Amino acid sequence: MSRELLTGNAAAAWGARLADVDYVPAFPITPQTEIIETLARWYEGGEAPGRLVMLESEHSMVTAAAAAAATGVRVFSATSSQGLLYAMEMIYAVPGWRAPFVLVNVSRALATPITLEPDHSDVLAARDSGFLQIHCANCQEVLDSILIAYRLAEHARVRLPAIVNLDGFYLSFTREPVKIPAAAEARAFLPPFAPGEVEFRASKPVSRAVAALGSSPYSYFRYQTHLAALEALGAYEEVARDFERRFGRWHPAVECYRSEDAEVAFLMIGAFSTKARDAVDRLREKGVAAGLVRPRLLRPFPQAALRSALLGRRAVAVVDQNLSMGSGGVLAGELASALYGCRGAPMIARFVGGLGGRDITAEEFEAMATEARAAAETGEAPAPRLLYTAAELREVRKLQAIALAGPREAGGRS
Amino acid sequence: MSEALQPRPIRSLKDFPSEHLLAGGTPMCAGCGGLQVLHEVNDVLGANTVFVNAAGCMTLLASYPYTPFRGSWLYTSMASAPAGAQGVRDALDILIARKRLAPEEDLRAVVLTGDGSAYGMGLSATSAAIERGLDFLYLCYDNEGYGNTGQQASGATPHGARTATSTRGHGGAKKDLFAIWAAHRPAYAATVIGSEPLDLAKKVQKAAALKGPRLILALAPCPPGWDFDARDTVEIGRLAVKTGLWPLREYENGRIAHTRVPHPRVPVEEYLARQGRFRHLFEPRRDEEAIAAIQAEVDAYWRAIG
Amino acid sequence: MFRVRFHGRGGQGAKTASQILSSALFLEGFEVQDAPRYGAERRGAAMFAYVRAARAPIQERGVIARPDLVVAIDDTLATMPAAAVLQGVAQDTVVLIQSAEPAEAWRPRLNAPCELLVLAPPPGAAAQAEAPFGGVRCAGAAARLLGVVGRASLERALEAELAGLGERLIEQNRAHALAGFDALAPHAGRVRGDAPRAAEAPPDWIAVPLDDAAIAAPDIHATGTSAASPTGLWRVLRPVIDYEHCKRCVWVCGTYCPDSAIRAGEDGRPNIDYDHCKGCMVCVTVCPPHAIHAVPEREAA
Repeated sequence: MSRELLTGNAAAAWGARLADVDYVPAFPITPQTEIIETLARWYEGGEAPGRLVMLESEHSMVTAAAAAAATGVRVFSATSSQGLLYAMEMIYAVPGWRAPFVLVNVSRALATPITLEPDHSDVLAARDSGFLQIHCANCQEVLDSILIAYRLAEHARVRLPAIVNLDGFYLSFTREPVKIPAAAEARAFLPPFAPGEVEFRASKPVSRAVAALGSSPYSYFRYQTHLAALEALGAYEEVARDFERRFGRWHPAVECYRSEDAEVAFLMIGAFSTKARDAVDRLREKGVAAGLVRPRLLRPFPQAALRSALLGRRAVAVVDQNLSMGSGGVLAGELASALYGCRGAPMIARFVGGLGGRDITAEEFEAMATEARAAAETGEAPAPRLLYTAAELREVRKLQAIALAGPREAGGRS
Repeated sequence: MSEALQPRPIRSLKDFPSEHLLAGGTPMCAGCGGLQVLHEVNDVLGANTVFVNAAGCMTLLASYPYTPFRGSWLYTSMASAPAGAQGVRDALDILIARKRLAPEEDLRAVVLTGDGSAYGMGLSATSAAIERGLDFLYLCYDNEGYGNTGQQASGATPHGARTATSTRGHGGAKKDLFAIWAAHRPAYAATVIGSEPLDLAKKVQKAAALKGPRLILALAPCPPGWDFDARDTVEIGRLAVKTGLWPLREYENGRIAHTRVPHPRVPVEEYLARQGRFRHLFEPRRDEEAIAAIQAEVDAYWRAIG
Repeated sequence: MFRVRFHGRGGQGAKTASQILSSALFLEGFEVQDAPRYGAERRGAAMFAYVRAARAPIQERGVIARPDLVVAIDDTLATMPAAAVLQGVAQDTVVLIQSAEPAEAWRPRLNAPCELLVLAPPPGAAAQAEAPFGGVRCAGAAARLLGVVGRASLERALEAELAGLGERLIEQNRAHALAGFDALAPHAGRVRGDAPRAAEAPPDWIAVPLDDAAIAAPDIHATGTSAASPTGLWRVLRPVIDYEHCKRCVWVCGTYCPDSAIRAGEDGRPNIDYDHCKGCMVCVTVCPPHAIHAVPEREAA
């Protein structure tokens, strides 16, 4: 074990290296590209025994990844944003193959307009695909979660592909101290891939991923994927406990920070949740019983853990760094469905923020806590709020003035 | 391994096996020119094959729990079958290199695709697989339209053919997929047709012995899509060759050779008039200009060959 | 409500028949619903199309479990279990079969618990691979059996549904539809359309168990299982080998047959696998000594 400064991308590459992956189909996209460049350098220099192949698109990349996994090798790949969406047909198709592999997604906001900055709309578009999802808050978690994700994905009762998600920029390009486990320790935790029946070989002909035109087999196969994903809840606990035993780091399905006795809790995923921790401490200093509840595991959805963390709290401020057009934040809806009808369910205050990499300030966390508590006081759910200030709108107006000035100067056709 | 799974060399039509690898009971249409090619190719290649399928008519060949295959099959998508072949091939290579798989367990990766994918949605994935030098066979059954959805115009639809989306005759022109492949300088490329099984067998055997990207592009007469009686599948196929509309050719070592030079060439109208998709060229009155234009294009092709 | 099912083979016009009937009922002021139902099967395979018609808006959806009228456009389907022509037939259902044989011949064969009528096919159709105009003929006959569709509505519906075909073909189709309409005149209004909705058992829901991933993916580990699909049922013409003239060059017919349905027997003679031969007749055209003949299935069987 060593402790080194690594970016989130480097931590992801280390995770793949320590997982001893055989095969990496790849395609570049900012802010993910460093991951595949790092692996390519290691493989070409003989530092690690893997094989990286450049595909011509993410759609092909995910196809090749699943096909290789279905042939019995351990596969890793990485993408981001538009790339994940370009692959979406296969993201939804391959979980049903029951061939496990790990895909890292470096979250980046979606077009339109195009941007390089992060939010979680990309990975949440894959929410219902059958991929398991683990969301990371720091660079150490990125490395650790990849090893955990392989154990989980390859678990005999699960057998599904998994996405490990990290925020672009705030993790991908940010260096932090990361403990890198020794290769032997990693191998003891994650033994070589045992493909079982999942293989193509001459002596065992098989027709795979075939059509099922009747609704009975169709419903059955789709539901099996769902049941396997649910099974990953128990399997995750088992795997995370083993990880803690070996490496001393506990990565629960749902992280609860000072939430046991909290009056108001933040609920969010990803890198900004460390800012929420900070806010919790400051609120506590001011005498407000605040806490943080952070699902690391988003699929399967840890409903029971969320209930046990949040029932009895007075209010929860959900911070959604994503936007479901015409509905609002995705996590708020997910949480509401988990808590609905339960005795002691908290008031839910919905906030959308951090879109396109927008910062969320300490003051905003405090203000969100205040609004959530006030809502609990009145018993009336507040209208969903976008974290957006008057100064930001003034900035946009200035930009609009420039963008719209052109035709007026060119001849006053307006 | 039984004899049926182990192909024997085919030097004459008599050498074609009298037992077939592909089982009956498939949902393909009666008289399907594509199924005819697949069963011939499968008999030549043997069972140690994984067909990586692109969405098309043949998607439904394997439909739970029924499969006609003695070997393996993987359904992928319309756009990415060559990438599926890449994943399978690379994984097998890795397993064999690391001694996790015995070499006799190896399989041949064969993309199975219709023209809709091959000429259109899958072209980018195909081009990239060729440029990567992927060791795979690419078998395209070209029925000149999106047959599985009722024969809409595709990138392979010939000029003038009626389709579900070009009811007065297709305005575009058929792409030369063979030439597109040849421009990539692959290990091998050939055009074939099920109605010329010996020519097909020689080319498939040649392709099977090579490594790298290899194309087998089969014109697949389609009774419902082209609107002719299923019994005429072979006759229509033979006419496609005899008229010179479907040149039987191969690319190897940078050179293109024709394996059949029709002489004298049968007038194209004998081929066109047999198919409902060209009926508007003959009824209610003959469209001399359109027929002559199709003939002129064929003549120009063969004149250029010399 | 009238609930009508048309059974045919892919390509025989069952869908068109359902649409013409539905349109005609619509013109008569009915609320209607029509839809075809087919799976992966292609031309020649059994399929069906259905029509619902009522004076009030129709809330039912999906296939008709309890029909008032069942029409078999192709009589070879009537006894084919896979075609399920008699599915859900009850005492007050009327079954109409387009057949050259009389109703008396069909009654013992089908042993159906209901009225059985026969519509004579178009002249000369028996020898054809696909009876042309059989579908529109049945549409006309069905319209008459319901007794609520006038001649003018039938004609207008046909013209609207076949608008793309051109005048000559529409005229021929009209003649056949009206022939069907007239042929069933003695039975006008025989279908009452007041049958109750078919009651089903209460749901026997279960909690689906999590299965091992090895069996819980749509993977087929057995090989050649498609042989269990009797695609020979698609056939309306049967290739029959005249072994006196057969030269035993099985590599010819066996190679060209798209469906792998011709193999060499122990004596070296080609054998046709009628369970899977779809009746394309390619073998008939390629046989060097012309020793394979096309025989209508109903004569050969």
